[in-house]
Amino acid sequence: MELTLQPVLVASGEEGDGVLVFRDRHLVAILVRLSSLHEEQAGFWFLEKGFGVLDGPQHPIFDDLHAAQVWIKARLADHVGKPPWPNAPV
Amino acid sequence: MSGRFLANLLKYVELSAAEQEVVEGLVAQRRSLPAGAEVFREGEASSDCRLLLDGQAFRHKNLSDGRRQILSFHVPGDLLDLQRAFQGMEYSATTLTPCEIGLAPRTALLAAMGAHPKIAHGLWRLSLMESAIYREWMVGMGRRTAYARIAHLLCEQVTRLKTAGLMQGERARFPATQAHLADSLGLSVVHTNRVLQALRAEGLVELRGRELVVLDWKGLCAAGEFDSAYLNLGRRAA
Repeated sequence: MELTLQPVLVASGEEGDGVLVFRDRHLVAILVRLSSLHEEQAGFWFLEKGFGVLDGPQHPIFDDLHAAQVWIKARLADHVGKPPWPNAPV
Repeated sequence: MSGRFLANLLKYVELSAAEQEVVEGLVAQRRSLPAGAEVFREGEASSDCRLLLDGQAFRHKNLSDGRRQILSFHVPGDLLDLQRAFQGMEYSATTLTPCEIGLAPRTALLAAMGAHPKIAHGLWRLSLMESAIYREWMVGMGRRTAYARIAHLLCEQVTRLKTAGLMQGERARFPATQAHLADSLGLSVVHTNRVLQALRAEGLVELRGRELVVLDWKGLCAAGEFDSAYLNLGRRAA
């Protein structure tokens, strides 16, 4: 599975560095880099918003973009062949 | 022995000296717990209900993946598990600060309610106030922004801490972390941190050290769309 990252500025109220994460031209997640506001977690990457199976109450924080992609791919792989969100019509 | 609890009950109902004595006699044992200690766990059987006599605690439910949802924060005088007098417990409670817990046998509580309608009336009022707090939290999680949710929760805490006599001027001990607030309001710690920084930057409120410091009460109430009427403070039953 290939993911494509596109740098973007996000109006999160912080410094704004982020990336849009695409799979097959579909936007699946928005990641933002945490600013110094978050002290020891500054520079880490935060799942600001997930779409489809990545949507939900969990917003993990990753050491780097590689770790974020591993997590996103695992989530997407778990749902291959399943509807994109729970209870969706098949 | 149930001092803070009796004082809390008396905000809602007038009790005769004899009735007050019954309430005082409800606590059969006291237990001191450090901060972060489990008061009781979901599903755990006990013949005693827990009165929070001193300190702060919170109710919560733990999810199978290790996450938790905090259901409510408690101040001295609160009864943490009245439900236990009637049925099993489907939530847990943990201390936020060192706490003094009074153990009241459920049989004694039931007997007091049966024999003294005013005591039962007072307990009803406490339960109704808790229900009102849950409704406000539900409105917040369903319909308020993260910013308003956090401001509203802090307003509620200030009001409850003040009623319990725990505000010193504009500050009170409230050692909730960002994780506690996030777990209360269905937010991530990152979002919670952003909002707390915004509330501080706007000069409304600050969580500093282990204290909650109100910088602008009116502004904070406006930010949280907070109206304390649902807490029914100091209103005695007719």
